[in-house]
Parts: sequence; structure tokens; C-alpha cells
Amino acid sequence: MQYGMIIDLERCVGCHACTIACRAEWEVPVPYQRNWVKRLGPTMTDDGMAATYYPGLCNHCEKPPCVDECPADLVERTFTDVKSGKTTTMEVAATWKDPFDGTVQVDKDRCIGCGACADACPFGARYVNPAQADDDSEGKVDKCTYCKPRVDQGLVPACVQTCITGARIFGDLDDPKSAVSEYVKKGAKGLEVKGGHIGPNSRYYGKKKDIALLFADYTPELADIASIKRRTMMASLVKPAMGKAKDIGLLGVAGALLVKGVSDNEEET
Amino acid sequence: MAFNLTRRKFLKTASLVAATIPLSKVVSANSGVSRSALDAKGTADDKTVVGGICEMCFWRCQLVGKVRDGRLMKIEGNPKSIDNGTSICARGNAGVKLLYDVDRLKYPLKNVGKRGAPRWKRISWKEALDECGSKLKSTVDEYGAHGICVFPHGASAKYPMHYFERVVGTHNVSEASFFQCRGVRDTAYVATISKSPDEKVDMANTRVLFFIGDHLGENIHVSHIKQYIQGLQNGAKLIVADPRYSASAAKSDIWVQIKPGTDTAYLLAIMNYLVQNNKYNKEFVEEYTDGFEEFSEAIKGWSLEKAAKECDIPAEQIKEVADLLASNAPNVAIHPGRHVSWHGNDFQRERALACLTGILGAYYVKGGWVPPKSPKVTSVTWLKEDHDHEFDLNMDHEEDEKLYPYSPPGTPTELIRDCAITGKPYPIKSCVVWGQNPMKTIPNQQKMKDLFTAMDFVLCVDVMPTDVTAWADILLPESSYLERYGYIKKGTQWDLSKQHQQYISARMPLVAPMFERKDQVYICNEIAKRMGHAEKIQSKTIEEMVDKSLASVNLSIEKLRAEDGIHIQPGMDPYGVPDEFEVLLFNEDLADFGHPGAPTYIPVPQTPDGFARLLYGRAPVHTFNRSQNNVWLNNAMPDNPVWVNDEVAAKIGLVDGDTVGFINSEGVKSTTTTTVKVTAGIRKDCVYMYHGYGTVNPLMSIGVNAGVDDTSLITKIAVDPESGCHGMRNNFVKLIKNGKVLDIPA
Repeated sequence: MQYGMIIDLERCVGCHACTIACRAEWEVPVPYQRNWVKRLGPTMTDDGMAATYYPGLCNHCEKPPCVDECPADLVERTFTDVKSGKTTTMEVAATWKDPFDGTVQVDKDRCIGCGACADACPFGARYVNPAQADDDSEGKVDKCTYCKPRVDQGLVPACVQTCITGARIFGDLDDPKSAVSEYVKKGAKGLEVKGGHIGPNSRYYGKKKDIALLFADYTPELADIASIKRRTMMASLVKPAMGKAKDIGLLGVAGALLVKGVSDNEEET
Repeated sequence: MAFNLTRRKFLKTASLVAATIPLSKVVSANSGVSRSALDAKGTADDKTVVGGICEMCFWRCQLVGKVRDGRLMKIEGNPKSIDNGTSICARGNAGVKLLYDVDRLKYPLKNVGKRGAPRWKRISWKEALDECGSKLKSTVDEYGAHGICVFPHGASAKYPMHYFERVVGTHNVSEASFFQCRGVRDTAYVATISKSPDEKVDMANTRVLFFIGDHLGENIHVSHIKQYIQGLQNGAKLIVADPRYSASAAKSDIWVQIKPGTDTAYLLAIMNYLVQNNKYNKEFVEEYTDGFEEFSEAIKGWSLEKAAKECDIPAEQIKEVADLLASNAPNVAIHPGRHVSWHGNDFQRERALACLTGILGAYYVKGGWVPPKSPKVTSVTWLKEDHDHEFDLNMDHEEDEKLYPYSPPGTPTELIRDCAITGKPYPIKSCVVWGQNPMKTIPNQQKMKDLFTAMDFVLCVDVMPTDVTAWADILLPESSYLERYGYIKKGTQWDLSKQHQQYISARMPLVAPMFERKDQVYICNEIAKRMGHAEKIQSKTIEEMVDKSLASVNLSIEKLRAEDGIHIQPGMDPYGVPDEFEVLLFNEDLADFGHPGAPTYIPVPQTPDGFARLLYGRAPVHTFNRSQNNVWLNNAMPDNPVWVNDEVAAKIGLVDGDTVGFINSEGVKSTTTTTVKVTAGIRKDCVYMYHGYGTVNPLMSIGVNAGVDDTSLITKIAVDPESGCHGMRNNFVKLIKNGKVLDIPA
């Protein structure tokens, strides 16, 4: 089973109901976001004047680059299939791809708030939520969960429920009869990274010129994993120290000391 | 590089003690997956409170609230609704941030400074109401009821509006929803089909959608958008006439990039083409219309070529559109529009739309203009009393006829303002502003300020400290739509072709009001008592008013609540032309009043050299100027970038994202700036921005100075000759970048 979401741009009117419903449901503080709507155009394209929207969210990728970057220690975790009751145990860090429903999730208790996964996401779908700070961090990574807690209860995701035109369709991409699979057959596709394959499972359908505009403007590149790796290694040394030390990877392996220096400087300003 | 990592925090966290002690774990019953206490809980298990009716805009979707420990966490569409269903828009979802906005008015306030530069003192309700009662009463005693003018807006303003009109007896009432919005549409259709059209087009079941300036998508009304998208999904063709590639134009099959102000010429050419080529619906015209001959004679000069030149569009495209309409008639949806007070020639354009619908036979047919058969609920309010028209400013007493014969209810705004400012023909000395923000709804802000300055007393009632509230003497805090009973919303299922059903719902509070906020019935009744009208009160409380209204359909608040907030009953087939229905293609009465009896194009002022026409419209996440202080909505669209044509931008050295201000052709400058959106999707002779930004009241801590106030630049006043409604798109601007005024090239 692989949950996925279709965004039908023929139906979408760019109203932002999805983004605000998500804020209310999951108490997402401004200016952060679990999902977004960007307006594209109007601009002249090869197929004439075009304007459309980019309603974005976590893609719960087939090979999520965020998951591999989590520096938290691996622990055994038992997963349960909501439908069959089956269980399986895997070793995971603080974020993982669910073995049953294919969603990508975060354990807020084990997340150290370093933001390495957020930097690794080519879509900018993760952020460190300062409202979820605890004694050891200035926040935890937060993201779209495909509303797993709701879906597991038999509800639809909050954005899908409020969508005023039925432009968001949620379901199992592995089920060939599902509405989402029907859309894939009609040509719905994800914003795959340039020159790579991570298999985004939030997919877009629409008029040719609108899809062309979306993909021209928002096809992402893979993040600079090398720099994230350096940060990850360092984070594993000073785990809870990472706090909100975003972009620390840029400082190189000697970062820990530098962080201290920078923070001292900041205190003076 | 700011790391936001203090030394204390760093030392504390760098201790390499990796162990974190989880707070209490929450285990989901269904999945067995444990959830951190840090995670937001989600609202699925919160208490559901029924009976909400939205008023983030005036479409009024039916809601439920998700309440946790007495706090409203989330608003959702009422799953029982056959109108909006579980859907609500961004604004509806953001209602919780209006409810808990820290800038909201909390207590009655008295202005101990000056109007326009207030200093606020908290006073008791008793003191506030005593002051309102005595000031308003002394105005009536000294100058008569007509010494009071009223600027109402929204559901909570209806009850006090009725009080001042019916009981006190002033005609001087100006509703923004009429005189600055849709009133001219309603009266133009009344002059044509004897009915207000609202937006009752059966878009879900149509074959062609025809929009003049409608920008659905940027203008969001949930069930209306459902109809629109359903129509497109069913394969309807969409024609959009707009100088700008609007949200609707982006979904169109034919985009008519029309020159602003020339829409009536366009419509006349379409109709003339249909008549000349026998492509109109002869059967319908014979059976249901009047004045076809005079009508065809009056419009016969409008060849495709003439209109093409006037409207700056290809003649071939006008023909294409006319043929598309004719070949799909009568199942075509000619949209009457909503905000239509554009150029001061709008009555004629609306008449033309109503007539076009007529000659296509598109009334009461599938996909045409079809009024749903809604249940009738008698609203209980103040009883009507006779007040003669001696002090009706819209009367020409010598001729004994109306100055604006097709004025919507109330009195045309400009007549009220002129009278109040000059004191002629009589003094107006008190002003009641209830839910309206005339600084942002009515053009020419200086004139509005002059009106307030001329008053002996100004009362404002609102939920937020909007710009107009700075001009109040007494400012009263109202409970919001989420905290009170009120509006009765009724209608039918949104898709007219589906099982015919009717619904009745009434606004019920989702949470209790906080601080000292009061509802409109309490406030108005208390003022009425102090003005000597205690015996005329029909309902002691808002709850009683709603219950009495519901009793007319054998319902009550209690029954509605037991039915999850919405009563549903069998409906009726809305299709089929009623026997008495008539379309006046030529209106004799209009001609008798000295106005054109057939739809007529009245040219608008041309754009002066070096300027661009200022166009404005709706943002999907905002309602007028009512929502810019909402933290969530502000974050979604914090300002209103001005659309500038890409070729124009290149010539005057503007790039996307530049910061600009404005100066209009009368020398009025914007007090704030916004950014530039460079796009091929707008004509060269106009610029466009979202309406409602640029709040000036510093008490609106989020919305203040965000974006540019289009209304501040609309200083030249146009008044529609038939209706007295404003036209607000006859103003022209230049852009200012880095202090330098940029001429717009021709």
C-alpha cells in the first residue's frame, strides 16, 4: 500500500482553503507551513497564455532523501497495519517511511530538531517547529503526515475534506482501482527531481500548458547531500546540541566549536 | 548568520547527554503507533458544536466547530450541508483567528481625543449606551429623524438598520453591498425581468459560461465555485471578458482581453449580430419578451467592427463568442456579476446582460439563469412604519419623481455625503456606522472624513478597530458571527439537477463571547429604549428573534440543534418559465424617466497620457478590508502586488518584485508601497491590484500599512445615472519608484 495525493489543477482555483485547514488542524504556526499554494503566471508559454497553481505538500517519496539523513540513533520500532492488524519491526531513526502505508513520519520524542532532514528535502516540505521545543531542542521537525492520525481513524486528510472543488484526491496508489490510480493512468505525475529518482507520491494533473508551467517552475534539484552529511555526522556527535543550528553543515566538521563562537557573537548583538 | 542559539542553551545542550525523556506517550487505539505529547493533537476527537453560519464573507456557509476545553480549535463545513458540504474556504477556516484576534475590540470605548486622531477611554456599557441614546435622541429632537445617517454592512447590521429606517424614520442609509457593489445589478435586472438576479446561474449544468469581469477563483463563494467547476468538468465552454488574465481567464476557452469600460459596446455587438443573423431564440422572444423591435432598432448600429474598435478586440472573436452562445442556447449561463459598480455606466451593462440572456432564451432552463426554489422564512425584526418622502434626498420634490429612479434600497451615498457636508437641503448631524468600513468601501476618503467632521455624534459598532472606527465618538465591541445567534440561511442543494432539496439553518454560537462583547439586538434595543422606543421592540434577545423567525416554518433553535444545525426538506423543480415571466428588452418606464429604454453604451473617461487605469478585484483569501488583520490570511497574502504589463514594465524600468507607490491623476499619493508583479497577462493601459489592503489604523497590528489601499487612490467619483451607485474604475495612476514618478507609455 502506498498512500498518495492527486492535485487536479483543472479543479483547483488557488483558494488556499487547504493550507489554512491544515494550520487549524495541526496548529502549524505562522510563518511555517505543512502545505502551500503558489500562484504561477500569468505568463506566455508555447501553448499560449497560462496561469496555474502549485499546491505543494510532502510527497511521501518512494525513496525519501530526508529519512536517510536523520542522525538520531537507530531503534527498533514495531509498526502495525491499521487495516490488517499485521505488525512488523524495523530499525528506524527519528523519521522513517511507514512499511504499511508508505507515508513518511516523524517521532517528535526522538527528533533532535537539527533540521538535517528539512535541508535534504528537495521540496522544502519540512520545517523545525519552535512551538514543539522541549528541554533538549528549540523545536521538532514537522511536516505533512498525509493526516495519518485522521486517516487511521477512517477520516480524510484535513486539506482534502475542506477542498471546495474536489481538487485533492487521496488514496492508495498501489490499488489500481483507486481514484488516485485512475488519475495516474490519465497522466498525473509527481515533481520528480532533476536527474534523479525519489518517486514523489503527491501528483499533479491538469491542462498541458498548466502542467508544463508547473514543472518548468518547480522541478526541484536534489539537495547538496554532501553538506548535509557533514552536518549529520557532527550532529551525531553532539546530538541534542543541534537545537536550531540550521545550515551548520556549511561550517564543516569543525562546526561544533564554530557554533559556540557564533552563538557567543550573537549574544553580544 | 543567526543561529538563535544562546550560550546558555548551547552549554546546556552541548553536554552530549543524548537521553531525552519523553513526555507522556499517547497511543493511538487504531494503529498502535505511539504519538508524542509534543505533536498537535488534531481535532478529530474534539467536541463538535453545530449551528455555525460563516460570515468571513457574505456567502455564509454552514459550519461546525471543533471545541477543546472551551476553545474553538477549528471550523469545518457542516457535513449535513447540501450547500457547502464539508468544504469551507481559506477565510472560513481562518475564522478562529478572527475570533481570538488580540486586536479585537473588547470593551465600550469613548474617544477622548479627536475624531480621526482618537484617544480611547474604556467606559461601562451603561455609560456608552446612555451617551448613544441621548446624542441620537437630541439629533432627532433638533433636526428630525433625517438628521441621522447610517452606514451598515453585514448580517449584524440589518437589525439596527431596520430600526433607524423603520422606527426612527431616516431614509439616509447607505449599504456598501448595494451602492458600492451589486445594487446596480439588482435594479437593472428588476428593470428587465422584475427580479433581482443574484448569481443564480445554473453553472453546473450549462454548456457555456459567459463572464464579464467575474473572476471566480479569486472571488470565492464555496457553493458557487462548486457549480462553476462542475460545469467546466461537464465540458462547458468558458468565455471570460477581462482586461486581465484572471483566475477565471486561466480556465477559459476564449479570453476576451477587453478595454476597460467598453463591455456594454461588446454586449450590444453580440446581441446585434444575433438579431441581424437570426441567431436569437425567436420562440422565447415572442412569448416572453417585450419591446424587441425598439430594442433591435436601438442596437443596430453596433456592428462587429464598430465594437471591435471600441473594445480593442478582434471582430472575429466577437463573432466567435456570439456563435458559441447561439449554438448552445438556451443552455448558456450569462453571469450577472457580483461587484459591478465599475464605471458609472453599469446599469446599462447589467441591462444588456439581462437582455442577452433573454434573446438567447436562457431563463429558467437548464444551464441558464434559474432561481432555486428556496424555503420562505419570515424574518422577525422591527415593524415597518410609514415615513413620508419629504426628507428623502433621492426625491426631486418639484417634479415629484426620484432623482435616481432605479436606486437600490436606501439613499445613494453621494446624496447623503453632500447633504451632510454642506448642510443642504437640511442638516445631518449624527452618523451610525455598523459593521461597515466606509473608509475602505466608499471612494474619496477625504469626503468621508469631511462627513464625520461635520457630525455632532458618530457611533461605530464593529468587531475590529477598522479604519473608520478612528472617527467614532463611541466605539462598541460586537460579538462575532461565531459567538452569537442570528442569520437564518436557507437554500437548496447546490447542483440544481440533483435531487431537489431545501435547507433551513440558523446561526448559533460555537463558543461564548469573551470580554464585554454584545450582539446587535442587545445593543440596538438598549439604544431604542433610550430613544423612547421601548414599546416597539419585537424581540428582547437575539435568540428570541431567531426563534420567532424559525417558528414561521415550524422550527426552533432547539429543533435545529437536534437536527445537527440544518433542517432538510423536500424541494421543488426550479426549471420551467413561469407564466407571468417577462423580459423587457425595451423598458418604457426607463425611457419616461429620460434614460435609454434599450441597453445603451455610455463611454467612460479615457485614460490621460502617462497614466494607467486603476483596476482592483478580490483576493481569494480576503474579504474586502475585513480580513487583512487575520494572522493566517495575512501570511497567505500579506500584500497586494500591482500587476503591470511586461512590455510596459520593460520600458519604464520596472522588474518583478520592485517596490512602488502610486500617484493618481488628481495628485493623491498612496501612503504605503507594494511590490510589482510583471506579467504578460494584463493590458498595457491598466494596472491591477487586490482591493482592501493598506489599513491605516495602528490598532490593527497585523494589517496596518500592509500593501496599498486602492480606495485611497479612487478619488474621482462616478455615479451611475439610473441607480445612484458608485463607479470606481475611472481613476488613473502612475507608479512611483525610488521617489521618481514613472510615466506609463502609451
